[in-house]
Amino acid sequence: MMSFYKPLFAAGPSEWEGTTVEITGDAESGFQLLKNGKPYVIKGGGGTHYFDVMAANGGNTVRTWGVGKDTRDLLDRAHANGISVTVGLWLGHERHHFNYSDPDQLAGQRAAVEAAVKQFRNHPALLSWGLGNEMEGIQSRGDSPVIWKEVNHLARMIKELDPNHPVMTVVANVNPDKVQAVMDYAPDVDILGVNAYAGAQNIGKNLKAYGWKKPYAVTEYGLPGPWEVAHTSWDAPIEPTSREKAGFYYVATKGILEDTRQCLGAYAFVWGNKQEATASWFGMFLPTGEKTPRVDAVAKAWTGEWPANRAPILKETVMPMANQKVKGGRNFAVLAQYKDADGDTLTYAWEVVEESTDRRTGGDAEAAPEKVAHAVKALDGEGNALLTTPRKPGAYRLFVTVKDGKGSGCMDNWPFYVE
Amino acid sequence: MKKWISLIGCMSMLVVAATVTAQDFGDFSSQTLTGKAWEAYGNGDLELALKYTAKCKEMFLEDAKKQQKEQAALEVKPTGEAIHEFWALNDVGTCLYIEGQVKEKQEKIKEALAAYKILVEELSLSQCWDEKGWFWKPADAANGRIKQLEFDAMLD
Repeated sequence: MMSFYKPLFAAGPSEWEGTTVEITGDAESGFQLLKNGKPYVIKGGGGTHYFDVMAANGGNTVRTWGVGKDTRDLLDRAHANGISVTVGLWLGHERHHFNYSDPDQLAGQRAAVEAAVKQFRNHPALLSWGLGNEMEGIQSRGDSPVIWKEVNHLARMIKELDPNHPVMTVVANVNPDKVQAVMDYAPDVDILGVNAYAGAQNIGKNLKAYGWKKPYAVTEYGLPGPWEVAHTSWDAPIEPTSREKAGFYYVATKGILEDTRQCLGAYAFVWGNKQEATASWFGMFLPTGEKTPRVDAVAKAWTGEWPANRAPILKETVMPMANQKVKGGRNFAVLAQYKDADGDTLTYAWEVVEESTDRRTGGDAEAAPEKVAHAVKALDGEGNALLTTPRKPGAYRLFVTVKDGKGSGCMDNWPFYVE
Repeated sequence: MKKWISLIGCMSMLVVAATVTAQDFGDFSSQTLTGKAWEAYGNGDLELALKYTAKCKEMFLEDAKKQQKEQAALEVKPTGEAIHEFWALNDVGTCLYIEGQVKEKQEKIKEALAAYKILVEELSLSQCWDEKGWFWKPADAANGRIKQLEFDAMLD
């Protein structure tokens, strides 16, 4: 984690003009984020790529989690596409053995944050600082004074180094104790960023009920996580379909942005792709880079318009083995039919993958599970396939990836278990 | 023929008797009606659930609206046990949510939206106790369903 903090050079190039970002108003009259004096609502995503797609679909901001060797390039690419960046400044997690009572560790972290701020404070793509991400602990009440006092120390330091950009700290959802601790021990934080999945659109009401009077942003949102959904009898989380996922993103985006008084905006998660439980749970893009219906849904919520090219979306399925225990070596005729609003010709790619065993918490990197060769064969170009269940007992998922050949695609999966 | 008529008549009476038994409004309290509506909905008896929600609305909708106004006027919103003082608001709000859910299952989307909209626009402060140990707001859930149905309609 400390590798995030190595500065490439002590300060940014002198030709950078920088931006001025400020927050006006109050909780009663409503807050307003101003970038170079102009009102700015964060319509964003968490990620490091596909800025052109974001810009083309009405988005304006990305959020990162830490500073590293690629940050300069990322900021330049964002700026070239007219995208602003909330630059994440990674703070240590106790679950990764960071000790907020160890002066040496704190000194190292402070130096790294200082170097990062000095390096990028004048970059024209910079919107705000994202101080930490869920460092209060995802399984605790998140009210540790020692952590929040350190966050405040860093927030104050950043504001001295860079008075032109607000400081946001990011927590994993909220509860009354956590919000109270931030108010008590970190008063120099300007914005509370909240990562929330199920019920993200109600975060504002919860914060208000807990007494939060500063602005907030929803810093990660999307669909319910694997920890929030029904599981099969062998404890595999049942992933929402691509259609359901698009609905979650649309509802959450619309709902969050309805709070125009206290909410400064939101970042959909993840504007890219990642393996977390499965290859398709959180990624708004396919591993090969095509945008999915989730991007379309967010774009529709941001702008009221669909993208020029729509992604295919699941219409109908016949999956007799889904969520079932079955025998090995059995054949199942399966169907996953997709609809493409533009009438594009779709290609279907099927594969069987072992259930992930590298499951972690807090979004930590997970290894992709093994694929099973020759277990499924497409029968036509319209979503019919023949699945032959693997002979080796265990948990699996049948995946289908559908692409329109024009930059959009979709992926769904159905778990099954071979006895 | 007479035998058949009388047999059909008996069967009708049995059906009526069964229906009457099924529509047991108990003590006619909003709490009982809401509990029975949830139970019927959970059992998949959608028409029965609607009968309870309709009775609850018929008897307590005006009280619920009054309680919505009373609560809206409070500077400090009720918490904990005090939430139960707004019994009509909470139960009728919950019944409207159940009604919306039933109508969705019946694919009567316009009627589902109508129920959700009354809930969101007129009884937004209603709360429902979850046995897991917290209150949730039916209007928030309804708001989400309205957007979801709006999205579904745009996809189809």
